Amino acid sequence: MPIIVNLDVMLAKRKMKLKELSEKVGVSTVNLSILKQGKVKAIRFSTLNAICLTLKCQPGDILEYVK
Amino acid sequence: MTTFKHILVAILIMLISGLITYYLKPNNPIIMVFLFLIVVFFIFNLIIRKSLSFKNYFTNQYNLFTTKVWHQKSYDIPKDLMFEKIIEVINSSDFKLVETNKEKLEILAISTITFKSWGENLYISFETNGNETIMKFCSATLFQIYSWGKNEKNYDNLLNDIENSLIV
Repeated sequence: MPIIVNLDVMLAKRKMKLKELSEKVGVSTVNLSILKQGKVKAIRFSTLNAICLTLKCQPGDILEYVK
Repeated sequence: MTTFKHILVAILIMLISGLITYYLKPNNPIIMVFLFLIVVFFIFNLIIRKSLSFKNYFTNQYNLFTTKVWHQKSYDIPKDLMFEKIIEVINSSDFKLVETNKEKLEILAISTITFKSWGENLYISFETNGNETIMKFCSATLFQIYSWGKNEKNYDNLLNDIENSLIV
């Protein structure tokens, strides 16, 4: 799929662990791991909003379209 | 076709129970022993159902007292992650998680016994095929020679739950 999830990059930039993000966002670590690998079927705006709020970033920092 | 099969089995059950009541009288010791054996067998199955060790007993093709329904589904998610995911899905579904084996990657979930159902054991195992994880589902009835399609319905519901859980 040409959509790449850069969640691991943002986590590294913010020096945050997946577990910590999971607690702050309210999404299980399993779901975040699957999201990180880009294997989810869809992402809710509420989840994206919570992740951006916690990581202080834009949706474009997490999701990238590659041709 | 399935409806025809169900009707045929229902007629057979009525025929057998009719013949039994015609030929054997209520106080006949054969009936008492037969009923006692059924109850003992049911309790035995009820006790051992909550352990993964008896998976082979319930899923064995030679066990004529349980109905087995096999399904498999593949996802391009690593099996360790899929294992955790399925546990999460089962915990939020109508099934009750009974036992997990993280080394063998096996899960046992059961459905409760109700007036409509004798209960069902769901065994899930995980295998890797290239980048894909193949999940093998085996639904075995607790004490039922013939399945009326409840297993299929429960499997479809679980599959829907898995699909929905992939929307984060």
